[in-house]
Amino acid sequence: MTNAISLTGVTKQFNGTLAVDDLSLAVPSGSIYGFIGPNGSGKTTTLRMIMHILLPDRGEVEVLGSRDTAAARDKVGYLPEERGLYKKMTIRRLLRYYGRLKGEATSRLDASIEDWMRRMELPGLLDRQIETLSKGMSQKVQFVAAVVSNPSLLILDEPFSGLDPVNAQVLKDAVLEMRRRGATVVFSTHDMATAERMCDRIFMIFRGRKVLDGSLESIQNQYGADTVRIRTAGGAAALADMPDVEAVNDFGQLQEVRVAGDPQVFLARLSARTAVYHFEVTRPSLQDIFVRIAKP
Amino acid sequence: MPKTLIVAQSEFTTLVKTKAFLVSLILMPIVMGGSIMLVRATKDATDSKDRTFAVVDYTGVIAEPLKAVAGLYNSSTPSALDGVLPRKGPRFIPVEIRPDGRDANALRLELSNRVRRGELFAFVELPAEILDPAAGASIRYYSDHPSYNALPQWLRAMVNAVVLNERFRQASVDRALVVRLTKQAPIDERGLFEAASDGGVKPAEEVSVARAIGIPLAALVLMYMTIMTSAPQLLNSVIEEKMSRISEVLVGSITPFELMMGKLIGGAAASTLLSVIYIAGGLLVAQYWGGYASAITPAIVGWFLLFLILSLFIFGSLFVAIGAACNDLKDSQNMMTPVMLLVMIPVFTAGSVMRAPDSTLATALSLVPTAAPFLMLLRISLQPGPPMWQIVLSVLLMAGTACAVVWAGGKIFRTGLLMQGKSATFAEMARWVMAK
Repeated sequence: MTNAISLTGVTKQFNGTLAVDDLSLAVPSGSIYGFIGPNGSGKTTTLRMIMHILLPDRGEVEVLGSRDTAAARDKVGYLPEERGLYKKMTIRRLLRYYGRLKGEATSRLDASIEDWMRRMELPGLLDRQIETLSKGMSQKVQFVAAVVSNPSLLILDEPFSGLDPVNAQVLKDAVLEMRRRGATVVFSTHDMATAERMCDRIFMIFRGRKVLDGSLESIQNQYGADTVRIRTAGGAAALADMPDVEAVNDFGQLQEVRVAGDPQVFLARLSARTAVYHFEVTRPSLQDIFVRIAKP
Repeated sequence: MPKTLIVAQSEFTTLVKTKAFLVSLILMPIVMGGSIMLVRATKDATDSKDRTFAVVDYTGVIAEPLKAVAGLYNSSTPSALDGVLPRKGPRFIPVEIRPDGRDANALRLELSNRVRRGELFAFVELPAEILDPAAGASIRYYSDHPSYNALPQWLRAMVNAVVLNERFRQASVDRALVVRLTKQAPIDERGLFEAASDGGVKPAEEVSVARAIGIPLAALVLMYMTIMTSAPQLLNSVIEEKMSRISEVLVGSITPFELMMGKLIGGAAASTLLSVIYIAGGLLVAQYWGGYASAITPAIVGWFLLFLILSLFIFGSLFVAIGAACNDLKDSQNMMTPVMLLVMIPVFTAGSVMRAPDSTLATALSLVPTAAPFLMLLRISLQPGPPMWQIVLSVLLMAGTACAVVWAGGKIFRTGLLMQGKSATFAEMARWVMAK
C-alpha cells in the first residue's frame, strides 16, 4: 500500500520553542487517519506543514508521492481549524473561487457544488450571503469548499468541533463518502469517541513528539487489560483507600478503574467491601489512554 | 487561468462592487464639483452686512472725497478715479469724526468703546503728514476683527487714490494726463509658432491658465486621490482575510506570493478603471467648458496610467505587507503613517515644481521613485515637459523599486500572514525581509 503522506524526521520551531520534534509518520492511501493530542501539542503545525503552509526546519514531507508539497496542493482539500469565509460573498461565488484556486473549471465545479450542497442538507442556499448563515451552516459550507474539487487527500483540522449532533452526523457521513470515493482523510479531533469509531489508524502527538501511532486495537494492546468497569452498591466511595487502585474514572452509576495487579484479586477485595452488580475486565479506552499520557 | 489571475479577478470584482468604489465613482466628482461651485457662489454673497467705520481726518481734505468714493462704490457706479473697485461684498459707510482739537488718545478710547458696543465696525486715522510723500506716514486702522481684511484692503486702495489726487492737485499737475501717459502696456502671453501643413506658419496660441496649470494640477490630484483610496483598500482586504482566517485557506491552494500579486493586479486594475472613467469625464468637461480636451494628450494619459500602475505596485506592496504584519486595523493605522507621508510629501513640494519645473530640485525630486508618479507626471503635463531621458529614467527607477518592494513585501506577507498575537514591528519586518 502506498502512502498518501510520509513525514521523515520533521522538526519545526517557533521563536526557539519546539513545536514539532523529529516527527516521522506514514499515512496509508485510502485510510482515515485521526490526529489526537492536547491543545498546543503540534497537531495544527503538522497539518500546516503537510499543506505546505509552513515549511519544516528539518526533515522531509512527502504528499501524494511528491516531495514538492506545493505541486500536490491542487489534489489536497483543507479545512482549517478556524473557519475562513468571506462574509460578503454568496456561497456560490465563494465555492467557485475556492474551487478554481484548486485548478477546477467552473463548468465542472457547478455540478460538484450542487451535489455537495445537497449532501450537506443546504439545498437552495447557493445565492445566500455567507454572513447570513448560522455557525453550523458556515462550517458545512467550509467543508464543501474543501471537497468541491474532489481531492485525493482531505485534511480536516477539528472538523466536528462546535457542531450539534445532527450536523456532526451529516459531516461524518460526508467524510465516509470521501473515503468511499478513494480519498485519504486525515483529521484532528479532541473527540476520542469519534476517533475510535471512524479512524483506521490513530496518531497522537504530545509536546511535539509522536507518542501513539497505529490501529486502535494495537494501541489498546500496548496498554493491556488493566481496566475494569464496575457497578457497585457503594459507588466510587467504596474504592477509597484500596491499595491496587491506580486511577478511577467516575461516571456516577459506573466506574472505570485502572488496577495495578490481578483484576480477580481486586474483585475479591471489592466484593468484601460492597455488593458488586457488574464487573467487566476491559482494555483502556482511547480517552483513558489520552488522559494517561497527557495528564500532568 | 493562472491562479494569480483568478485572485486578481476576484479582487477586482470585489473592489468594483464595493460601496467605496461606487462612492468614489459617482459621489466624489459631485462633491468636488459641488464644493467648487459652492465656494464660488458663496465667496461674495455670504457677507452683505454694512460696515460702518469712523474716519478721523487730520488732513481735513481726505474725508469728504473718501465719502464720495464710498458712495460710488456702494452704489456700484463706475468711477473715473483709478483704483475704485467694483463692489463684491458689503457696503462700506464712512462716518467723519472731526478731531476739533481733542486729545488724540481720549478720542481713540472713545471710538474704541463705540466699536466694542457695535456702533462702529472700525475706525481709521488719517494723519496730516499723509499728504507728504517724504513723511512716510501710515493710514492707521483700528478694529476688533483682525481676521477681516476686506475693509483695510479697500481703505488702502481708496485712501491712497484720494491722497494721490490731493498730492497732484497741490502740485498743480493734471492727474488724468499722468494716468494716461503712465498707462502700462499689457503682456500677451502666447506659445510658439509652428509650421502648418499647408507650408505656412501656424500662429502661436494664447496661453490659457486653465490649460497651462489646471490640467497638470488635475492630473496630480487624480493620481494622489487614486493612490490614497486604492492602496489602503488592499490593506483592509489583507487584514480582513487574516483576521477571519481566510488567508490560511487561500495559502492551502496558492503560494503567498501568488496571492499578493493577485491582490496587487486586481487592485491596480480597479484603480485604472476608476482613473480611466475620471479621465473620460475630465475630457468631456474640458471640451464642454473651454475646448481644452486637446490639451489632455494621449501621451499624458499614457504616462499617467503607467505611473499609476507602477505606483500602485510600490505603495500597494507596502500596504499589503503592513496588513499582513498587523493583527488589527488600529495597529495598521499607526504603521500606515510613514507610508502615507511618502505619498503626501511629493504633493507638498508640487508648488515649487510647478513654479520651476526645469530646476535642479524639481528634476531630482521627480526622479525619486516614490515621488515620480506625482512630480514627474506634473513636469510632463507642464509645457514644454522634461527631456525624454529623464522620463525614461524615472520609469526605470520606479520599475526597479516596484520589483524590490514587491519582493520584500512578498517576504513580509508570507511570514506575517499566518502570525497571530501581537502585530509585528518595523524591525521584525526588516528581519523577515533579510531572512533566507
